[in-house]
Amino acid sequence: MNKEMIKVKGVHKYFGDLEVLKGVDFTVHENEVVCVLGASGSGKSTLLRCLNHLERITSGEIYIDGELADKRQDDVDVIKISPEHSQELCMELGMVFQRFNLFPHLTALENVMKAPMLVKKTSVADAKADAEKLLEAVGLADKKDEYPSRLSGGQQQRVAIARALAMKPKIMLFDEPTSALDPELVGEVLEVMKNLAKEGMTMIVVTHEVGFAREVGDRVIFMDNGVICEEGKPSQVIDNPQEERTKAFFSKIL
Amino acid sequence: MLNNVQMQVILKGTGYTIIIASVAVILGVIFGMLVALGRISTNKVLNKITWVYVWFFRGTPLLLQLFMIFYAMPLIMKDVFGRTFPMNPLMACFLAFTLNSTAYLAEFFRAGIESIDKGQLEAAKALGMSYNQAMFNIIIPQSFKRLLPSVGNEFIMLIKDTSLASTVAISDLLRTTKTMSSSSGKWIYYVYAACIYLVITTFIQVGFEKLEKKVGAYE
Repeated sequence: MNKEMIKVKGVHKYFGDLEVLKGVDFTVHENEVVCVLGASGSGKSTLLRCLNHLERITSGEIYIDGELADKRQDDVDVIKISPEHSQELCMELGMVFQRFNLFPHLTALENVMKAPMLVKKTSVADAKADAEKLLEAVGLADKKDEYPSRLSGGQQQRVAIARALAMKPKIMLFDEPTSALDPELVGEVLEVMKNLAKEGMTMIVVTHEVGFAREVGDRVIFMDNGVICEEGKPSQVIDNPQEERTKAFFSKIL
Repeated sequence: MLNNVQMQVILKGTGYTIIIASVAVILGVIFGMLVALGRISTNKVLNKITWVYVWFFRGTPLLLQLFMIFYAMPLIMKDVFGRTFPMNPLMACFLAFTLNSTAYLAEFFRAGIESIDKGQLEAAKALGMSYNQAMFNIIIPQSFKRLLPSVGNEFIMLIKDTSLASTVAISDLLRTTKTMSSSSGKWIYYVYAACIYLVITTFIQVGFEKLEKKVGAYE
């Protein structure tokens, strides 16, 4: 088995009185593509957002690349992790959002260059060369000087993937990357993600694209009501689920 | 029509009007942005201080603020520190108008910054940017286009409010006009004044409309 890139132990997350994650455990290994499926409100996105500290877990433990990133109990750190180290660990994670969240006042190229220049102090020349390569890889070399408002949803999402990759993350998190897209634009984004998987990127993909999960996913996690209900190989979870709730979900959407 | 001397006096008055308003709007933009950042900061002390600042300078008349700075402050200094503190009228105007416009602009800026989609801050954070990096590179630049109309508005308000400067013996445009009219018994000077105000505010309005198009070119 490859190295453990993400390890989540006993994670609970409350929003006020509402318990969104009710004790979640899972592990993602290097080069693995894990697809997280489940109905809206099952806690999939929250789980992803807890990994890179867009939300903080209420209690539980999170390890990134073998190192402790969070150990919390009742919204308090049990083990204090320095902000610098915490930021270092979060930067091993790249994230792609449902709504793209490209910076509208910057061109596609500038969107990709900005974070490396600010955060890693990469020189303009290096950042530019790198960004051009990444935009080429997602098939948008000719759109580099366009502002996001001039790009289609699919193109925007591909720029967003390039932007996340520019920080050279070890793990990519995708939060419903195709849910906001017109159906005819979904394919081009999934294609980019497939290539990324082929290159060996470790990925966690929250998605409703069962076809993608089946084809690209090494493992599928089915979440329901804040817990992991079932996990295993895509063929097993999607086509031959054991749990009642999993069966009910897939019988509705397949 | 105007003779040479009158022309010079009116030009000087216009100069005061423009310079007081310009200083107040330029410094107001800079300090207003800082106060706005304080208002949305998670630091409780900063939050409270900036709240009180805005509360006071928006909640009291500009004229009172001007009087407090020009008339009351030297007296306070004398009572508290026992030494005279000379305050020059123009300096008092710069101070009062700047402090006042800072408070108004800060509230506009706060609203402008808060109107930016919170996904922008999340994306910046997910890319490893610190709060300050995200604010200054991502959020604030996007808010510029939304802020420009309020800055233009504040500038025009200030041009008109500078007439208050006459109360601390500054011969601004309006005071000059009034003196001329009452000494000559002619009303036409008021029409001249109105025209000059309109010319200035037209320049500001058109200028800001142009600027808005330029800044928002990406949309």
